[in-house]
Amino acid sequence: MLSEKDTRMMSSEPVSDSANKFVRIVLFLIVALTVVAFLVAISHIVKLIIIAALLAYVLDPIASFLESRGMSRTTATISIFFLLLVIGSMSYVLLLPVLSEEIRALKDGFSSERAELVISQFENFLVSNLSFLGVKELHLLSRVQGITSRIGDWMFTHVLDAASIIVSIILIPFIVFFLMKDGRKFKKEFVSIVPNRYFEFSLYLIHKINMQVGNYLRGQVLDATIVGILATGALWLLGVKYFLLIGVFAGIANIIPYFGPITGATIAIIVSILQTGDFHLASYVIVAFIIIKLLDDTIILPVVMSKSVHISPLTVLLAIMIGGQLFGILGMLLSIPVAGFIKVIIHESVTNYRRYRIV
Amino acid sequence: MNNIWQNIFKLRQKHIDEIDEILLHVPVFRDLNNRDLKTIKRILHQREYRTNEVIFSQGDVGLGMYIIVRGSVEIICNPGGHLLAELRDGDFFGELALLDESPRSATAVSKTPCALLCFFKPELLDLINRNPKLGGKILFRLAWTIGERLKSTNEQVRALCFQKKTQE
Repeated sequence: MLSEKDTRMMSSEPVSDSANKFVRIVLFLIVALTVVAFLVAISHIVKLIIIAALLAYVLDPIASFLESRGMSRTTATISIFFLLLVIGSMSYVLLLPVLSEEIRALKDGFSSERAELVISQFENFLVSNLSFLGVKELHLLSRVQGITSRIGDWMFTHVLDAASIIVSIILIPFIVFFLMKDGRKFKKEFVSIVPNRYFEFSLYLIHKINMQVGNYLRGQVLDATIVGILATGALWLLGVKYFLLIGVFAGIANIIPYFGPITGATIAIIVSILQTGDFHLASYVIVAFIIIKLLDDTIILPVVMSKSVHISPLTVLLAIMIGGQLFGILGMLLSIPVAGFIKVIIHESVTNYRRYRIV
Repeated sequence: MNNIWQNIFKLRQKHIDEIDEILLHVPVFRDLNNRDLKTIKRILHQREYRTNEVIFSQGDVGLGMYIIVRGSVEIICNPGGHLLAELRDGDFFGELALLDESPRSATAVSKTPCALLCFFKPELLDLINRNPKLGGKILFRLAWTIGERLKSTNEQVRALCFQKKTQE
């Protein structure tokens, strides 16, 4: 028969257990919030580290390939940086003058009489047909000129801003170099501080993230490069002005699902309308972008993204919107890899939480 | 002063030799030269376990093999908690997980305080990528080890069948 003391002890044990669990959860939340607040406070550095980590992810297979040819990790990393320096210098000498000239021209706005005529005709058409909606004066011309000028201003401040370029040029490659050279050491050091109970699971998580998000990033960079080259080539063949600038932009924008390809194509269409004053060239540009998109969806993407993380279209849309809201265009570019990263962690943790007694 | 440096050097040398020696006793790493051993040691994880600490549980997703540097480990099969094996210094377990991600078939618990070396699949895959020659050697030795285990299991099954027949 149980004594009164035993009964009291039995009834108090679950209470103390749940109290302990509650204290642990509160402590965990406090630590998590402190970490998040700290990361927000140093968000500029965090942004640089994320960009560097993504670049290191993309370049890692090249370093591994060079290692398989007998190079040490350090020599392989230095060789990649030397190659990138050569490519960067050549791009600086050959492409930057053309690009900056195109950005300058875009910044000055478009003042072709034919373009003004097309826009005025289009505005008159809208006013006469949509008067029942209360449409009177749209000032389309000044709006289009304002937008092109703002795009040029944005590119000058964000892409060609000397101070940010110098900081990024020094800091990002510096971080990329050490992440590539000592990445394995960092991973080993990190895993060594994980408690025994979660040790194998944490390695399993890192392995899954490496496989799925790494493949996604490398696939996206390859895809963006191919789409950029195709778009530049098509626009050059069609004789569209600023073909290099729009092609490079279309390639980079392609990394952002749904919004990116539409934005790239829209800019090319607007520029071609403003250039010729009619829709003749624009129709060819539309066809070219549709062909590129079809090629991308049916041939390029299935090949380069076959082994990467799968994210549902709704999650992709939400991730892009949240990324854009928090960090602008950079947030939109980084949103999918970050969403993939979070998805792998949540999926694997939920699948294995009982086995590893995570909760 | 010189003695102090010599002693420190000796201690370091002893530690390195101990791990080298243990690795060379593991069939997967047998026949490796010094350079290969150095590469392997760089990718191994070292862990310390207290007495009665679970190293992995039956049903966990396995990621690789463990090599006992010091201590004793029990391999237990559930349900029933049958003791399958008790492993000691230089023994290894869990090597099947290097090839697939199927759940662990038994639970491993440290019987005494243990020092283990862990060799995992991500590191093996990375090694195959960047050093195919060494990766090939290890895969070959791994296949040989698993083949040996299969032969030993066949022997045990045969013995059990024979025992059953004689009982009938």
